Amino acid sequence: MPHDTIELTTPVGRDWDPVVRLVLGGIADRLNLGFEELDDLQLAVERLLLEAGTQDSVMLAFDISETGVRTRIGPLRAGALAEALQGPPPPPGELTLRRILETVVDSFGVEQVAEDGQLIVRLEKVVRGA
Amino acid sequence: MTVASAPSSQLDDRELLRRYHVDGDRSARELLVQRHLPLVRALARRYAGRGESLEDIEQVGAIGLIKAIDRYELSREVALTTYATPNVVGEIKRHFRDKGWAIRIPRGLQELNAKMSSTIERLTAKLGHSPSIAEIAIELQTTPESVLEAMEAGSAYAPVSLSAGPGQEGELDPMETIGTEDANFERSEQRASLEPALEMLPDREREILRMRFEDGLTQTQIAEQVGVSQMHVSRLIRKSLARMRAELS
Repeated sequence: MPHDTIELTTPVGRDWDPVVRLVLGGIADRLNLGFEELDDLQLAVERLLLEAGTQDSVMLAFDISETGVRTRIGPLRAGALAEALQGPPPPPGELTLRRILETVVDSFGVEQVAEDGQLIVRLEKVVRGA
Repeated sequence: MTVASAPSSQLDDRELLRRYHVDGDRSARELLVQRHLPLVRALARRYAGRGESLEDIEQVGAIGLIKAIDRYELSREVALTTYATPNVVGEIKRHFRDKGWAIRIPRGLQELNAKMSSTIERLTAKLGHSPSIAEIAIELQTTPESVLEAMEAGSAYAPVSLSAGPGQEGELDPMETIGTEDANFERSEQRASLEPALEMLPDREREILRMRFEDGLTQTQIAEQVGVSQMHVSRLIRKSLARMRAELS
């Protein structure tokens, strides 16, 4: 399967989550991801969209290959979010955004955007057995 | 042997109700709930096939049973089963009316969604892995698009707490958290930690979050341990996280 990209700019707000979930569902179907893996990826994206807070819109880019999907979400106006994701691991028993992402995706990272403090969060979900 | 020293399981409903209401014996209440769950299941079956899983309906019915036990007055000359039946049925009907489908979903999609839970469980056992959308579609003799639509329809359904009981009525419906303005955006670091709100969750839902995010169990593994469907686990995790976050906001 060639490397494909889907880009989506969506208003921020829970009313728009179904649109994002359906896009992810279509990608999961294309990649033959399991139901639970799709559910996990949807949860990760939803959590990050919540962090977009009062932003009007946010862009999602899905890079799809035969080995998995890389989702990039941003720019997000949250410097503290970067600290939360890049700082030391949370102690055992503490439920943080970082721990949630560590559980539901294969890897994640934060990319700084220019000098304005905005950031893009990158999520990787791998196709099992690919 | 006196009545007081008899094993609780051998006591009749009336004595257990007395122990609960007069002595404050919560184990008596637990025993009553367990004893009458078959009644709840029988009543719940009458409402199966209306777009919600039987498991969900049973959970709702159990709330009605607990309420009946809590509201039962010892001065009544009526059997608990007689008193509980309209309570259980009323709770189920109220659920369908108020909490079932938060937005209007075509009946076909509701029915497809209701079948998905058991289908996913069956396929997971058969295939040894979480089934793909295509595998679910083949099993349900429908299209992947319909499966995705049905899954989305399911997100319009407000799940019932596993630990439902007194005190649950005032809990936030997930729909109440939709579209809330987040005026404290700059406090995102604080919001990134959900810990402070964890304590407000019922024990069982907290335990499910712990199993998922601390022990790293999959939803399927949690479902097996807790005794509910994987889809129900998924809904409860989402609901718990949404509730915690709403609390922090």
